[in-house]
Amino acid sequence: MTGSIEVVYRGIFQKHLGQRITRGIVLAARQEGKVGISFGRYGDSPERNGIPAKSFAVVADSEEELQAHLARYEPTDNDVTVAVDDTLCKGVESWAWYGLQPINKLTRDGGTVLVTSMQSPEALLRDCHRKGAAWNLAIVKGLASFSGLWVYKDDHTDVRVLGAIARLAPKVVGLQAVKAAIRAEWGDESKVASAQLGHDRVESRPVGPDDGNAERPYEFKLLKWQEMREGLVIPGIPVRQEVEGWDGGYRPGRNPTFKKFSTRTMRPVVDFETCTKCTVCWLQCPDSCFDVTPTGHYDANMEACCGCGVCEAVCPVTNCITMVNEQAFADNGSQFEAHQKDPAKYKAWLLEKIQDKATTHRSHGFRYRGQYEDELADSGVEETAKSGD
Amino acid sequence: MSVVTLEAPAKEKELLISGCAAIAQALRLASIDVVTAYPIRPYDTVMQAVAKLIANGELDAEYIVASSEHDQFEIVKHASAVGARTFCGSSGVGWMYAMEALAVTPALRLPLLALVGNRALDDPGAFGCEHNDALAVRDLGWMLTWVDTAQEALDTALICYRVAEDPRIFLPCAIGADGAFLTHSEALVKVPSQEQVDRFLPKYDRGDKQLHPDNPITVAPQANEDWVMEIRKQNDEAMRRAHDVIQEAYRDYHRIFGRRGENPFVETYMTEDADIILFGQGTLSLPVKVGVRKLREQGHKVGFVRLKWLRPFPTLEVQEALAGAKAVGVIDRDYSFGAPNHGAVLYTELRSALFDLAQRPAVVSFICGLGGREVTLDSVTEMSEVLLKVARTGRVDQPNYWIGVRG
Amino acid sequence: MATELTVLPTQNLIPFKGVKKVTTEEYFTSGHRTCQGCESALVMKLMAKAAGPRTVILGSTGCMYVANTTYYSTSWVVPWMHTQLGASGSAAVGTAAGLKALMRKGRIKEEPINVIAFCGDGGGADMGLSSISAALTYPEYNFLILMYDNESYANTDIQLSSMTPYGANTTFSPPGKARRLLHKRWKKNVAGMLAAGHPECRYVATVDASYALQMMNRVRKALSIGGPTFIHSLDPCPKGWDYDPMLSHELGELAVETGVWPLFEVENGVLSFYGKSKGIAAGAPRKPVREYLLKQGRFAHFTDDDIAYFQGKIDDMWQRWLLPGIAPFRLAGEIRKALAASEAEGNGHE
Repeated sequence: MTGSIEVVYRGIFQKHLGQRITRGIVLAARQEGKVGISFGRYGDSPERNGIPAKSFAVVADSEEELQAHLARYEPTDNDVTVAVDDTLCKGVESWAWYGLQPINKLTRDGGTVLVTSMQSPEALLRDCHRKGAAWNLAIVKGLASFSGLWVYKDDHTDVRVLGAIARLAPKVVGLQAVKAAIRAEWGDESKVASAQLGHDRVESRPVGPDDGNAERPYEFKLLKWQEMREGLVIPGIPVRQEVEGWDGGYRPGRNPTFKKFSTRTMRPVVDFETCTKCTVCWLQCPDSCFDVTPTGHYDANMEACCGCGVCEAVCPVTNCITMVNEQAFADNGSQFEAHQKDPAKYKAWLLEKIQDKATTHRSHGFRYRGQYEDELADSGVEETAKSGD
Repeated sequence: MSVVTLEAPAKEKELLISGCAAIAQALRLASIDVVTAYPIRPYDTVMQAVAKLIANGELDAEYIVASSEHDQFEIVKHASAVGARTFCGSSGVGWMYAMEALAVTPALRLPLLALVGNRALDDPGAFGCEHNDALAVRDLGWMLTWVDTAQEALDTALICYRVAEDPRIFLPCAIGADGAFLTHSEALVKVPSQEQVDRFLPKYDRGDKQLHPDNPITVAPQANEDWVMEIRKQNDEAMRRAHDVIQEAYRDYHRIFGRRGENPFVETYMTEDADIILFGQGTLSLPVKVGVRKLREQGHKVGFVRLKWLRPFPTLEVQEALAGAKAVGVIDRDYSFGAPNHGAVLYTELRSALFDLAQRPAVVSFICGLGGREVTLDSVTEMSEVLLKVARTGRVDQPNYWIGVRG
Repeated sequence: MATELTVLPTQNLIPFKGVKKVTTEEYFTSGHRTCQGCESALVMKLMAKAAGPRTVILGSTGCMYVANTTYYSTSWVVPWMHTQLGASGSAAVGTAAGLKALMRKGRIKEEPINVIAFCGDGGGADMGLSSISAALTYPEYNFLILMYDNESYANTDIQLSSMTPYGANTTFSPPGKARRLLHKRWKKNVAGMLAAGHPECRYVATVDASYALQMMNRVRKALSIGGPTFIHSLDPCPKGWDYDPMLSHELGELAVETGVWPLFEVENGVLSFYGKSKGIAAGAPRKPVREYLLKQGRFAHFTDDDIAYFQGKIDDMWQRWLLPGIAPFRLAGEIRKALAASEAEGNGHE
């Protein structure tokens, strides 16, 4: 028997979380006398804040069975794919894959995608791409757990996920083994209790082959050596793209093979009426994501925006740019276009988006020393970060 | 082989100059654009000669004294990328200091020409001739050639530019020139005219790989396991093409200059009926040829093959040259500690090249002339005696000998 | 003016007179695999924007190579070529020399082409320092070397460099039970030492992309002034410094406002501080470094003593150094007296 678990996570913010989960699987499996390895996907390294990354745990009854998975970058038939941030369900621009990789791409037929989320399964299924085979969607209720490289937020997401995996894929690893591994690794009974809660509370439902987002994710084919230009030469990006219907304005050329929108956990919503055209959002955006409209406004292009939030931080006008959780949006449509088409409707939509407390939650990393302790004090660690129960 | 019509000889002049100065003459005739200098013996005489040419207005090139060999080779690498014809060089550990730049130049398909004034790697401190410096790049995509006279150095430098800058190739080329014996000894050299060279050597044109605002490209983006094999395959194909392009270039050179009409890849000396053949590269050819003649006088059927191009390795030409012998002695002026049979680099390469022959000569490894120690007549005699015994008995009792070492 | 020097003309890049006058076009565009809030990427964007389309850029190994040309793709609009980690100085010289030779020999059209070679703090302050120093001594070539400093070897997942601040957490200096601070070295003043050490170099400056207009105008100045030039930018790094990417802009400002990062330029031999550093140099109060340090996870293990030590070093720099950011010494008594006498006689500086 072999089993494998894939953890898809937000680079850097959830690096330690991802590693704890995959190491936890192997350590738990060891309690059952199995062998295994835990590894990050090498091509994701060096990880970057927000850019999707993966780590894996592979376990087997014997060293020989394990060999089939060694010296490889990615197991392709995972029993469980864990997404520790639900906006990853929209798909990830994966390393070594030109294009958008569906969250369930590497889940085996009949396997499970396990998501930490406050959303309903129906809402998540609007994002998850059709697989063409039956699979399951499981949810552990909770907000995405974000920290950073040096300071870790120990909100028990790791052990709740481990407990949930024990329920969803008991052949890979059982609950008693998970608990024993937690005790051995951390010596913390409250973490054991959280694992039990994760196990008990996880909810799973089957998904049909044609259920989910019907959109075809973008992809490219790799060239043969005869087709590649010699001398390590590739063409540069054109300086501009033409925009249909625009007279004036400027949309920059952009890298067509890595768009970066799958990095977003939140996106800026712009109020074109209160905007003073100060240029600062456009100027300070590290990703050049703002198109300059013919009217001189700045439209964050949702194919390019990676959701860093600097624009909101630098905008001098209150509530002109507001970061809103990515789950509140279904597509990458242009906000400026929507505003042009029907300003009143757009304004109403904007106000609804930025005022909805549920969708303005952002977990985005360290702001001050003691922050994570404050957050955990608010929410209580057994529930792990505002699980909402 | 078709008859080559030689063109009317143009005005050559004869100078008494060192191998380094001869290469400098080739650089002048090639109108190089950018050269970087850094002192280390014995190669840097070429840079001193180039400086004089520039100061006297005989050569128009950017002459940049760099602050290290790494800087040297990085500077010319980037000058080459914008389309400038470049020249650089080093010796021994200097060449090693540049190794990072050397390692990536072939993948970038930049036609650098480098002179390696072969010198021992020190420590142990020595300035004398040893081939390990240049040999260090033999796997990386550099073309490698060894010369044994100042004349050959000049001719080969021009041929190297022609081959390296051919768009079918675009690979860097290093000329190995034995320290002291070739780099410094002043010999009689025929220096061709500018008009002849202009007929032989076209301008360096990088085409759509040229780095310039009119050609917006990204050169050397970050690749990974999905791309590197294809990139290496392209290098492999270029090196495979090099053999024929080298041949073309020598044919043309012979037609225009009247020299280099012999086999481009190997020099064969008294090998037609030889029972035993010595094999090596560089200036050891000179004492070896003297030794071969002496042994012939004594009635022994001895010959010598000088390898001129190590990369691309001319397998067919080497097989043809050696197939008829009963025993071959490879003289390595280099070392490769722990190699098969404790031989060295040329020995290991040659044995591999001969392996497919239905009828293979026995091969013996000789390590000789390290650190600048002379390859003497006595050494040649000693090596020949070993080979004669092998030819007689049909057995190789001892595969490797250190010739001329005390003890 | 030296005899026999042949210097090519440069582009006449006049300073942008305000944010509305900034070039609209992007010459380094979207689609790079950098962290959210990456200020180094912002530096690339602003640098390329300031330089314009007649530019060739050489980028040495680091985040701005691996992330920007990820997976055999690119975000560069202008021609760009990779160079080795410690080779940015050489790449600048080689590119400029090649272009100069080709123009002189009529093989390409004569025109001023910007040559910019960039390096990170690892490739510039550590490995490539000698190559940069050499490059700054060639008066006949025009180029800019820009060192983007995110205070670590960031691309290899955050190891300390000689630019990493005292005590910071990196994978080579993790705070542990037995030893809390493995990194006790103090940051070198690279821009300062290069300015002081290369009298023929006409322009050296420090910049900060949070002050984007000032930063771009310094790039334009460096490209227009002629000869080899150097700019050192401080780039807040959400990954290595461990903070919410939204804070990138604010941290860039705090670095200057606390005096940790002095903004200065040396132009044709004249040193001046600019932006908020100008006031600080004239005695205006600095924000406490605590405000800057404790917003970053890499200092979360700092004790009050560590913070006090850090503050003391910054105080020293502004109060006791001969030239903050540049010359970390005081003058001995005799020299001070001689200088005072010389000034009294009217031989003073501007």
